[in-house]
Amino acid sequence: MERRALIEWMVATGGAAAFNRLSAQDLVALGHDVHRQAQPASRAGRALPAHAAHSVRVAAERIIPASDSPGATQAGVTPFIDTMLADWYAPADRDRFLVGLADLDMRSRSRQGRVFVDSAPAAQVAMLEALDDDVVAIRRTRGAAANEHWFAMLKYLTVWGYCTSEAGMRETLHSYPPPMRYDGFAPLR
Amino acid sequence: MTQLSAATHFDAIVVGSGMTGGWAAKELTELGLRTLVLEAGRDIQPQRDSVEHKAPFEMPFRGLGDRRAVEARQRVQRNSVSFDELSRVFWTDDVDNPYSTPDNKRFDWFRARQVGGKSIIWGRQVYRMSDLDFDANVRDGIAVDWPIRYRDIAPWYDRVERFIGVSGQAEGVDHLPDGAFLPPMPMNCVEQHVKNRIAVRYGRERIMTIGRVAVLTEARPGRGACHYCGPCQRGCSTRSYFSSVNATLPTARATGRLTLRPFSVVRALSYDAKRKRVSGVRAVDARTGAELEFTARVVFLCASAIESARLLLNSATPEFPNGLANSSDQVGRNIMDHIKWGGATGEFDGFSDKRVVGERPNGIYVPRFRNVSSRHPDFVRGYGFQGGASRAGWQSATRAPGIGLAFKKRLTQLGPWTMAFNGYGEMLPRETNRASLHPTLVDRWGISSLHIECEWSPNELAIHRDMNVTASELLAAAGATNIQPSTRGPSTPGNANHEMGTARMGRDAKSSVLSKWNQSWDVPNLFMTDGACMTSSPARTPHSRIWHSPRACAVTQLKR
Repeated sequence: MERRALIEWMVATGGAAAFNRLSAQDLVALGHDVHRQAQPASRAGRALPAHAAHSVRVAAERIIPASDSPGATQAGVTPFIDTMLADWYAPADRDRFLVGLADLDMRSRSRQGRVFVDSAPAAQVAMLEALDDDVVAIRRTRGAAANEHWFAMLKYLTVWGYCTSEAGMRETLHSYPPPMRYDGFAPLR
Repeated sequence: MTQLSAATHFDAIVVGSGMTGGWAAKELTELGLRTLVLEAGRDIQPQRDSVEHKAPFEMPFRGLGDRRAVEARQRVQRNSVSFDELSRVFWTDDVDNPYSTPDNKRFDWFRARQVGGKSIIWGRQVYRMSDLDFDANVRDGIAVDWPIRYRDIAPWYDRVERFIGVSGQAEGVDHLPDGAFLPPMPMNCVEQHVKNRIAVRYGRERIMTIGRVAVLTEARPGRGACHYCGPCQRGCSTRSYFSSVNATLPTARATGRLTLRPFSVVRALSYDAKRKRVSGVRAVDARTGAELEFTARVVFLCASAIESARLLLNSATPEFPNGLANSSDQVGRNIMDHIKWGGATGEFDGFSDKRVVGERPNGIYVPRFRNVSSRHPDFVRGYGFQGGASRAGWQSATRAPGIGLAFKKRLTQLGPWTMAFNGYGEMLPRETNRASLHPTLVDRWGISSLHIECEWSPNELAIHRDMNVTASELLAAAGATNIQPSTRGPSTPGNANHEMGTARMGRDAKSSVLSKWNQSWDVPNLFMTDGACMTSSPARTPHSRIWHSPRACAVTQLKR
């Protein structure tokens, strides 16, 4: 089967059985195609195609939502994750991450009938919590090996990107600008 | 600071512009000598090149470092605790500057090639040696005796400390002599509690004090007091911590007699066999490849312990076939570092309403207590602890479960107070711990590289084991919970960044390279005032201490 035809068939049927036969490139292409059907809401980065960037943006905001202080989106977590995937991680790690995002859409389609970003907020949260539980379970038995799970990567990068962002440091953590003094008996804020 | 000059003859040449090269430059120029300082790397100007105030969001990798570049070019240097995304520019390129080790004996050779050398990235802890240290070799029958004692060096300690500025607390401990300290940095609430409890349990036998650190707590002319921003290893635009670029080199420059030449990679020393003196050095310009030659009445090697030994080994002559000034065959031998990675952590309840504001570039210190007034059955010498108490922030939550608002709130909450004691243990000098010329490996400039063979002896390994025991005892005495002895094995030799001993001083030319004046026995106008001169490795950070001071002795000698 032509890759293109395969992808169209998969998109049409949500055929998870065929999923394992796809290479990372196929899955990226799949993401593109799926996204073409959805409304473009994020621009492509250097490692993240537009639809994957959109998925990352939505998922990161669910992990660290805006409240009385900025959420992950406003803190620019998505471009940071794109930079890390493009310039820091090994290609195999990046591909595992992209496959994970595509898998998230596959799960979402089979359960909600639509891709992750188009699902209802409660459904998005439920899917991410299930992934978080998966990572917790792996961590219980296999320790740091859990860090290789694509969702563990996403969450780690979301936290790191948020807590080192200007918005996160200024408005949530109150760690910027630095105090330029030392007090070892300061009251808790 | 750079003053390129066409002159090729000077009164003195100093090889290296770091911790000890800066001192040599200062003292020699103040004595009236026209002094050339040759530095292999680029120029550094604190105001221009310090990046300690860059925020994480101004870094492409937010502090996680340029992993691919580091793996390609700095696979050794990255092992230093002070190596980070911004400070990495202050370490050398391992591809341009290779060395070899046996496969099963890794050695971390941390190197810094820029004006300022490793004084830009050092740990800044400064402790005086005492006769407990100077007597040690002769008492234990190990290696050779130090040719000096505390009374010889005390005035030079005073002189050096007055200039560099050392903050600390006088404690009246005989084997950790006090100095003329600037006001001490404060302990935090948990450290103060631990100190008090240790005093109740151990009296004067084991004490805990605030670290003695070469960071200003009061302003000096041209240098501001520390403002507790944190990452000293990225430079200091207020010149608050001592480094050659912050203090000694500007002083040397002010005399008008300093010529500082960056990008000057010294190949070897030139030897005048008729006069039995060094006549100067041969170098290569790192940018142009031009071969350079400089002459002088005296030469000071301040290139760091192992690099200075390499220079001598690369300067063999018919008179000195195994390396210049090496009739003793001790050049490159007796490599010492400090053994680390033993210790313990423990948690403290009762201070949950307190936190730390600001980043203190200093911790606590527990001076050596083993083999001071009693004999330990398993080892000679001893170790001290550095450490401190802190509360973890969001970094401890990156792998925590949960998503959403509750998880976001967790990122803002502080973890329990945790106190850590990290041991720094003395290493015995052994001739088999050795750097020798590699038969084929060369650096980017075609200069022969080194093969380094260095390993811990049973004495160091016993010290490492004991660190876990006594650190746990200290924490228990202080009332800690969840006490966790270190699970790490011994550190990689070299990893403490305290390499020393490769041209030891001693009492005779047969068994040592240098006299008590840091002067070569074989070549009287050659001085080595870096860590190479150390005869033993007292279990306290040696940086900047002893080898400044004999250098000053050497200058005195020179004036005669």
